[in-house]
Amino acid sequence: MKINYKYLFLAGVGAVTAFSSCRRELLTPVPQTTISDASSFSTPGRISGQLLSLYGVMKNGQFYGGRYVIDMDIRGEDFINQTNNLITGADVWALNPTNSATAVVNLWPQAYATINDCNIFLEGMASTGTAVVGATLAANYIAEAKLVRALSYYSLLQLYARPYADGNGSKPGVPLRLTALKAPGFSDLARSSVAEVYAQILKDLNEAETALPLTYGAGSATNTTRAHRNTAIALKTRVYLSMQQYANVVTEANKIVSATAPFTAATGVPHALQANIATVFTNYTTAESIMSMPNSNTAGDFPGTQNQLAYYYSPPTSLGGVGNGEFSLNDATGIAADATWTTTDARRTNFVLKTGTGSTARSWLVKYKVGGSLNYSDYVPVIRYSEVLLNLAEAKVRVSSTVDAQAVALLNAVRNRSDAATIFTVASFATSTDLINAILKERRIEFLGEGLRNGDLLRLLQTIPAKGTAQAKTPADVGYIWPIPSSELSLNKLAVDN
Amino acid sequence: MLCMQLTAQQRTIIGKVTDSKGDPIPNASIQVKGTKIGTTSQADGSYSLVIPATAKNLIYSSIGMTDFETSIGNKGVINAELTSSDKNLQEVVVVGYGTQRRKELTGNTVTLKGSIAAEKPIQTFDQALAGRAAGVQITVPNGVVNSPPVFRIRGTNSISLSSYPLIIVDGVPSYSGDFSSTSAAGNALGNINPNDIESIDIAKDAAAAAIYGSRAANGVVFITTKRGKSGKAKVSYNAWASWSNPYRLPKVLNAADYIAFKTTAVANNPTASAVTYNLIKGPDGKPVDTKWSDVVYRQGFSHNHNVNVSGGGDNTSYYFSAGYTDQQGILRKNGFKRLNTLFNIDSRVSKILSIGGKISFSNEKNLAATTSGSLSGAAFNTAGLGRLSFVLPPILSPYNADGTYNINGSAIGSSNITGLSTISYFNPQVALDLNRSNSEFNHITSNAYVQLKPFNFLTLKSLYGIDYLLIDNDIFQTPVSGDGYASNGYAWAGAEKYKTTLWTNTAQADFTLGTKHNISALVGTEQTRRTSSGYGINRTSLSDPAYNVVQAGFTTNNPADLFLGENYGVSEFARLNYNFDKKYLLSGNIRQDEYSALGIKKGTFWGVSAGWEIAREKFWTESGLGHVFSSFKVRGSYGKVGNVAGIGDYSPYSTYGSGLYGGLATLQFNAVGNPNLRWETSKKTDVGIAFGLFNDRLTADIAYYKNDINDLILNVPQAPSTGLPNAPQQNVGSMYNKGIELSLNATIVQSKDFSWSSSFNISTNKNEITSLAPGLTNILTVTSGSETVNRTEVGKSLGYLWVIRTGGVDPGTGKRIFINSVGTPVYYQFYVPAGQNQYSTTADGLTKYVSPTGGTAIAQAADAVMYKNAVPKIYGGFNNDFHYKNFDLNVLITYQTGFYVYYGSNAGLHDQRWWENGVDVLTDAWKTKDDAGKKYAKPVYNDNVSNGSSMPLDINVFKGDFAKLKNLTLGFTLPRTVLEKTKLASVRFYVSGQNLAIVTKYPGPDPEVSSNGNTTTGQGVDRNTSGNARTILVGLNIGF
Repeated sequence: MKINYKYLFLAGVGAVTAFSSCRRELLTPVPQTTISDASSFSTPGRISGQLLSLYGVMKNGQFYGGRYVIDMDIRGEDFINQTNNLITGADVWALNPTNSATAVVNLWPQAYATINDCNIFLEGMASTGTAVVGATLAANYIAEAKLVRALSYYSLLQLYARPYADGNGSKPGVPLRLTALKAPGFSDLARSSVAEVYAQILKDLNEAETALPLTYGAGSATNTTRAHRNTAIALKTRVYLSMQQYANVVTEANKIVSATAPFTAATGVPHALQANIATVFTNYTTAESIMSMPNSNTAGDFPGTQNQLAYYYSPPTSLGGVGNGEFSLNDATGIAADATWTTTDARRTNFVLKTGTGSTARSWLVKYKVGGSLNYSDYVPVIRYSEVLLNLAEAKVRVSSTVDAQAVALLNAVRNRSDAATIFTVASFATSTDLINAILKERRIEFLGEGLRNGDLLRLLQTIPAKGTAQAKTPADVGYIWPIPSSELSLNKLAVDN
Repeated sequence: MLCMQLTAQQRTIIGKVTDSKGDPIPNASIQVKGTKIGTTSQADGSYSLVIPATAKNLIYSSIGMTDFETSIGNKGVINAELTSSDKNLQEVVVVGYGTQRRKELTGNTVTLKGSIAAEKPIQTFDQALAGRAAGVQITVPNGVVNSPPVFRIRGTNSISLSSYPLIIVDGVPSYSGDFSSTSAAGNALGNINPNDIESIDIAKDAAAAAIYGSRAANGVVFITTKRGKSGKAKVSYNAWASWSNPYRLPKVLNAADYIAFKTTAVANNPTASAVTYNLIKGPDGKPVDTKWSDVVYRQGFSHNHNVNVSGGGDNTSYYFSAGYTDQQGILRKNGFKRLNTLFNIDSRVSKILSIGGKISFSNEKNLAATTSGSLSGAAFNTAGLGRLSFVLPPILSPYNADGTYNINGSAIGSSNITGLSTISYFNPQVALDLNRSNSEFNHITSNAYVQLKPFNFLTLKSLYGIDYLLIDNDIFQTPVSGDGYASNGYAWAGAEKYKTTLWTNTAQADFTLGTKHNISALVGTEQTRRTSSGYGINRTSLSDPAYNVVQAGFTTNNPADLFLGENYGVSEFARLNYNFDKKYLLSGNIRQDEYSALGIKKGTFWGVSAGWEIAREKFWTESGLGHVFSSFKVRGSYGKVGNVAGIGDYSPYSTYGSGLYGGLATLQFNAVGNPNLRWETSKKTDVGIAFGLFNDRLTADIAYYKNDINDLILNVPQAPSTGLPNAPQQNVGSMYNKGIELSLNATIVQSKDFSWSSSFNISTNKNEITSLAPGLTNILTVTSGSETVNRTEVGKSLGYLWVIRTGGVDPGTGKRIFINSVGTPVYYQFYVPAGQNQYSTTADGLTKYVSPTGGTAIAQAADAVMYKNAVPKIYGGFNNDFHYKNFDLNVLITYQTGFYVYYGSNAGLHDQRWWENGVDVLTDAWKTKDDAGKKYAKPVYNDNVSNGSSMPLDINVFKGDFAKLKNLTLGFTLPRTVLEKTKLASVRFYVSGQNLAIVTKYPGPDPEVSSNGNTTTGQGVDRNTSGNARTILVGLNIGF
């Protein structure tokens, strides 16, 4: 029996150990790779990190880091789809994407993720963040968040809603979400009207303008990657142009465009055209680039698979490019075929690559040059100073209905930089309409591949011309704008389709 | 005189102790019953024993064998054949933390012998379970080796969590599922050599499974590896070699037919007039007519070797095995190699103390060149081999005439098709030759236990176990063409560690009060901690074309495969089994779990059951039924168990994650957590009868089951405009699975030379969603991010096929007729002549179609209907074992019926872009006016709508019902007379075939398929998947 007691004792010790050794603290593990939402506004570093994340989310390849810009361009007539791949926008190009098309369902949530993050940031600043970083910095941050939100809403309207010109904004816009959502249960929200959404965009941009700093320092790259006062003004010229409120365009543009050439911004960041357009796409942070989305070739900081500008527009390396040649330029009816865009124009010599002969002859846009080995890390332009100049030029003509001299000068500033041989004068244009058309054409040349074409066609309710095998779409046609994503329609009971 | 007397009263018995195969059993004990007189057998099994004249009976015993008693009579030579207690597998059932006699069992557990998984051309045992047990449904999803099967016990019991059962290997929960991060599948259960498995016990109901509490909802599978038996070391060697081939691949157009058909399509589309198809000559000087399936598929050769040694002395026994397998898949470069060892030891140190343990090491290499397009998420890969085998035109060649690769940038060269600049699909030859997508697992599982029996009735046991899974992922993509082209060469490496440690302490008491009150009680505690971590690198832009390893020169480096996780569970559990005279049986389980990954951490789970063995009642035995029924047991169980499999480690928390913006650190809202998250609850009912007829010559088990699942954790999708970073997990929703199971086992013929035993099982399953989240009417499951075919809706079974209806092809115009949401036929034409409409309510295209909601096109969101169920309603198997003299024959047929499969590949096979088409377009596509009854629309170049490529159509949904000759094995065992001349104890040769025949109306390669792998809501989709292999195998078993 002695041995029994010994083992019983051992067993007893074992049992006690077993029952008492449980490590209860392991039941509430602390994530080591993320920050809890409870402490996300607790330090200035976390707040500034969150602020930058607003731009970062907007920069996602599904949105302003790639697809938004691409979709806005390929809907127009200046590109030809080469790969007939629905994943890379064959249907966007052909103007017949369905509610469940890749492009339609992917861009929307990314834009709204940006918007919600802005809303969360704005609420967090109001409740605790302002106290942590101080009133000055807080005002700056809040203004930036509003600008990012405004730009996101503006972008959504360009694809998913009827143009403002159609019924003065009375048509359905997009759901207008302005409160921070951090939990489920808020799916249902009807679409506000186009005008209501524009009103919010302008409210945000106006508030941003007053609170944004004039500059982040002379020559600072941050002047391109984050919003400052002139960014808000420049974006307002674009927004008002979309709303056909030309007088407002003039008012805004005049804040940052001098009366005579050389045109520069007198206050804030001294925006001006670069002498050589090529510079703008090698040095991404010149004073001409009012805002761009910065990429680097580090994971998580580039657009990602099948979202990169260079991947879409640049031909394969076998043809001397760096991309996948998803879209070539439309050599038949696109701007590339326009004889007034001269062969010596710097924008042709620097940005257009011709390959092949006969039936394989193609022109390609090679504005974006960084290849896959560097993860296609070109900066993505959001707005350049030359756009402000042309926005002003067009608005001035439309306001006065005359061949406005400053408008001609503004047009010349953009054209002459790349094409010294072509000099427009007031006499070059018989009517104001001719001048407007020249400005519109200049926009197609200057901003080819920068995501403006769709907006330019739609804001004027112009027919989207036919190209290649794709048919034209009049403003009355289905396909003139995108449908609402099927996922939104099925989960947001108040949403209606286009 | 004295001496003489002794001689007269004593005599000597000699003989030999063998097992049922005739192998000698050394160290067997031979004892005169009722005395201490005895001896042990020699190494050759022989013995000699002097017995007194009074001796009546001898008892033979050996560890691992059933005792054998025989009367002595006048015999001088007595040979004894002991039967292995293996044969008693049906008698003893592994339950959680112990075993139980089947006769006393009230839960529903099926026991299978490990041998069903041995000698098969498989990588993991779970692949062999198809058709073997009622209520167990196995679907092998594709032809990629080491792909985890879809494994369901009594239906799919979760929507967003895992529905794969809990696998307990020798007391330690194992990892399961695909743990490879590359294109080579890597089932975590691949470390278990099927040859080392003694038994597989599948616990199906709450009574059997509830001891595993919050992890038991999908059923529990207990794997018991082989352990040693005392006696002289027994060595056995098993080997097989096999040849696998694809079968029933789609038949596609040859070059001439392709050109003719596509040219017609071009002629029907005036906007594509520039497109021409031209025949060119290949490197062999002949016109190119590539059979791409030959480029992609091959005959796979595999071989497998196992050696095991088992033996032991009186107090210690051991089992050691080593195995090597090298298996080739039917996709080129796809393979699986495993080197594994297992060592089990059990030792009785004293009457009271026993110790033992196990150590198993396995090195597995999962090999692939590139994506098969068959694993979950890969269906639409442009590099997918399964897809490339039938999408690429036959007029393109893998090589140019000069022998170089036919490439154009990342894509295949298509210069002989004019009018389109590139085909975005890749030349698979490049990837097959130059790319790699491998993973290597080093998997160590070990446990050690101490067991004390301070009193006869009490057993105290402490077991500590580890399961370490260490993974190396290795991807290389050549810059030449294909996936790695854009990045000028790409390499990705990731090292991952998954560790489980577990400590279990149990106390078990077994005793009988009086003579008839049998009580068995268990209490225990358990702690399980799992950690996971990974890190890696992703490199692009190769600096020298000769390099092909991640360590070589690349110019761009990025982090990859970074993750860190941990979870922890603490549990206390108890079980009480009681029976009165083995007649009235009662059992109860309870377990309390606390789990770190939940918001509400603590939960209690339980199961109760009762049984009545009527055959032990007097009235029964006396009624004459007793002569017919050898047993007749009625049983029932009810209980509540949970499911937490697949919940993220930090699910309760809302978090912000780190990112970058132009090189600067950002902090971004990245997860919506749920602080109230708790387990899914499954309430399981099981009622059944089990009976044996004619001395158990026929046994039957009939059960009705119902699993009521509540608090389903759903990733409740929010409208995308909410901008939330993820669909938050919530405990909402409910569904049930119910059905009837029948198993029959019969010894049909049993004679000296011939025997035939047969087992048949059939199970029904009805699955229905009874509620989803408030406001969430359905869940869409997207196949590989591109196509939505499965929709889960209240009132229907999981993942119902949701497609657009069609009304055939208009005989007059060849237009596809779609049926819209309200049943109106809508005529579609891809090419729209001026003045006509793409969608029209008239065949002439003149009347513009306007949908009830104002749309002008057919769209899935508006017009698709809940069309057919993807979950099989009936499934089972029919197994037959024949023995004739030295021959043995096994025939296993598996079947599933009452379900439909969306054959998405068929949409691709009839896409009117440059894509290759199925040969049926020649006969089944509309050609001329009044071509009635055609399946496919008038071919119009670029039309990807009419036949289902751009939206799923009913024409590509087919009945999946099948019966498969899953296994056929013919074996021959050398007769003992031949063996006696050798030193061998046993030799058996066999040939076997897998998937030799299939009866189905399904037109694709195999209705047993799943493009979405184990995804609960995504079954019944066959999109670009490579089919299963048909395998012929020859094997050899030798015992020494």
